[in-house]
Amino acid sequence: MAEKTLIAPDKRRGFLSELLHMFSSGDWATRLSFFVMGFGCLLRHQVIKGLLFLASQALFIWYLIGFAWQYLSKFNTLGTIGMHREWSEARQIYVRTPGDNSMLILLFSVFSILVLIGFLGLWRASVRACYKAQRHHQAGVRPPRFMEDIKSLVNERFHGTLLTLPTLMAFAFTILPTIFMILIAFTNFDADHQPPGNLFTWVGFENFANLFNLKGGAATAMGNTFSGIFGWTMVWAVIATFTNYLFGMIVAIMINQKGIRLKGMWRTIFVITIAVPQFVSLMLMSQILHDQGPLNTLLKQWGFIEQNIPFLTNTLNARITVLVVNLWVGIPFSMLITSGILMNIPRDLYESASIDGATPVRMFFSITLPYMLFVTTPYLITAFVGNINNFNVIFLLTRGGPLVTEYYQAGKTDLLVTWLYKLTVDQQDYSLASTIGIFVFVISATLSLLVYNLSGSARKEEEFQ
Amino acid sequence: MNKKKSIRIPQARLAMAAAWLLALSLLLPYIIQGDTRHTGLSLIGETPQIMRVLPLVIAIGLALVFAVMTLAKPRRELLGALCAACAAALVAGIYALLSAKMTADASGALSQPFFIRHLGPGLWLAMLMALIGLVTGLTALRISTAYVVLSAMAAVWLLPILWLVITAFRAEPGAYTTYILPKGYTLDNFTRLFTETSQFAFPRWYLNTLIVAVFTCLITTSLVLMISYAFSRLRFPTRKLFMNAGLILTMFPGFMSMIAVYHILKAIGLAKSLISLILVYSGGGALGYFIAKGFFDTIPRSLDEAATIDGANKNQIFWKIILPSSKPIVVYTAITAFIAPWVDFIFVSVIMKDDYQNYTVALGLYRMLEREHIYEYFTRFCAGAVLVAIPITLLFIKIQKFYVEGVTGGAVKG
Repeated sequence: MAEKTLIAPDKRRGFLSELLHMFSSGDWATRLSFFVMGFGCLLRHQVIKGLLFLASQALFIWYLIGFAWQYLSKFNTLGTIGMHREWSEARQIYVRTPGDNSMLILLFSVFSILVLIGFLGLWRASVRACYKAQRHHQAGVRPPRFMEDIKSLVNERFHGTLLTLPTLMAFAFTILPTIFMILIAFTNFDADHQPPGNLFTWVGFENFANLFNLKGGAATAMGNTFSGIFGWTMVWAVIATFTNYLFGMIVAIMINQKGIRLKGMWRTIFVITIAVPQFVSLMLMSQILHDQGPLNTLLKQWGFIEQNIPFLTNTLNARITVLVVNLWVGIPFSMLITSGILMNIPRDLYESASIDGATPVRMFFSITLPYMLFVTTPYLITAFVGNINNFNVIFLLTRGGPLVTEYYQAGKTDLLVTWLYKLTVDQQDYSLASTIGIFVFVISATLSLLVYNLSGSARKEEEFQ
Repeated sequence: MNKKKSIRIPQARLAMAAAWLLALSLLLPYIIQGDTRHTGLSLIGETPQIMRVLPLVIAIGLALVFAVMTLAKPRRELLGALCAACAAALVAGIYALLSAKMTADASGALSQPFFIRHLGPGLWLAMLMALIGLVTGLTALRISTAYVVLSAMAAVWLLPILWLVITAFRAEPGAYTTYILPKGYTLDNFTRLFTETSQFAFPRWYLNTLIVAVFTCLITTSLVLMISYAFSRLRFPTRKLFMNAGLILTMFPGFMSMIAVYHILKAIGLAKSLISLILVYSGGGALGYFIAKGFFDTIPRSLDEAATIDGANKNQIFWKIILPSSKPIVVYTAITAFIAPWVDFIFVSVIMKDDYQNYTVALGLYRMLEREHIYEYFTRFCAGAVLVAIPITLLFIKIQKFYVEGVTGGAVKG
């Protein structure tokens, strides 16, 4: 109980006001702890804790001077000296000398800024600890020993134990790369500006202006490509989501209806196609649908066609083909997902409907579909976002083709994500790719926020338990 | 339930009528080319064969016999036999249709090469009537007609897979052949995957993938359990912030940050190593903690409270209460994490670049289909794909049921 009352006054304050409060109501030891981390703890029988804080401060200063500063100081220009020739006195020749590396400057600057933010958190924690030690001291209570602090890591502060490693991993492999790539969108990092040979620098919103045609005048190739691909991405996402959902549900209804035997077997047949890795099944499909592939061969052998049908090399055909193949890929998924929900539809609805003489088709449209739409709206939006980012189906089937000259490095079936991939991996046009990435993020985030509010899980979470 | 279901008489009559029309179709022309017409009946006796109608004729004959018998004595068994005969006629009709060009062109009896527009109304009517007979017959028997649709769909879904398996055993090289069934079968594609390793080191890649998958599985499962337990059971000031950050981070397209990830790995000296792959997959897998958290949320909190009163700390609650009751979610998380390295070819291609020795099977197989390799390696690609698909399919069938519940719960509850 004593513990609670001691820290209670600081709980509801903001970051700065809490610090101010601790500074004004702290004694000289606590105030000194603002500059020498852990000083108050050292003074008040929390030696190990104090030493750890002090060591971390020393480590941070060493890191800042020894490593971070050389990058942070160049953050605003991203480097000024490119690779150049320098006269070497010893060898009496000009040698190629590496200059600044814009990419490393940006990467390590972001990293250092993240470290700085982390250190700020640690610093606040140290000030808090010292302030707490002071309060304990004034109240005449012995501050908790180091071993007791350690013990609290498996109980009151168990979340710290559990989340430290995941947070560090997230910082290294998700947050740092994401911030880095967001910043890249404001630079001219492309094939012509590849460090270490060439430098790149900040260009502000130029990439966005190019992409969205904000400058006015005739549309650029990039702007054209963007609007074309964005339009197709939306058409694709809408059709793919709804066809999969509808047909998946119909299949689920057929399998789950009363009197169908071997339900497990039917389900397994469809599940097998999910289980075969997509890079196998889709590349197989692209071989089957090739201009000289087995399907065309068969159709000719059967006397159905005289000329090969260009399933994947003609714009309209390719678009229809990817949508149809996506049905093959997607129906099993939506079948699995909808069958769980279908079983939850109240039986009596159907019974009263059949007493009223409704046909199965009528029941589907009047009972099943409205109920399912109501329950699965969040899933539908998630699936929609998933389809906007549906890399595998497009990339493995058509590689975005057929390629056309009026598009910049893209084809007629390319989605924003596959275009992004090509720009990154094949073209090294990172700045443009990042700009597209940010755009895709904005769409996905908006839709997902919608899901979050629709599902109301934020409100229900507590009452559910 | 043991009581026999009665037959719906009107539908049974329709099925019998369909059988009669089916028989009549044999009198109509099956092939029309200019002025030459071949009716179904005339095609039976032709030598050399112009169209393979014999199975169809037999099925039609049986359908007619059963239709007559059903008319005399409406019993379930007889009507069932009629349905079977109609189904057989349908299959035989499709067989006749698909083999028509080959047989007709080979016989030399036609003046021009056969094409689908030369098909007369007879065969179309036969197939239509066979379908109608089957559907109405099943309805009369009160058996769901969904079986017909499901069977057709099952064929569509399984044929590509079947083609994969057959090609894995095909003796001739090449991406595709001008014929359907291979001329020769062999196990060479499998053995050469493991013996000819100079260019495509398949065994090495299989081992790489296995190592990466096992470690990814262990790390991801631990991470996911840690994160979900913290978010589901512990209450701390920054909880909402962390959860929202996790939600937002998953929405950035992963490809965008791949390049940065590569340079970070390079900076810490791990690029092009299996460890970097394990780290990347584990990091990615850990972001999918939502399902596990949703599962933990359903375990009653009263259990925790009782344990707390008994003096257990949060750590003990996790090991003694949460973990034992979450076996399905542990299995699900572990299997999904185990599968990830087997199916990804993008991250691994960015991280490994040209370091062949450290490829995983997915990337290796993907490379086999590049233009310069595809002719020689396509059958081996199929063999390798079969070897990858078998374990994954088995694992997937195991988690299938839970997959439904987990995904549904997660999607609906949010």
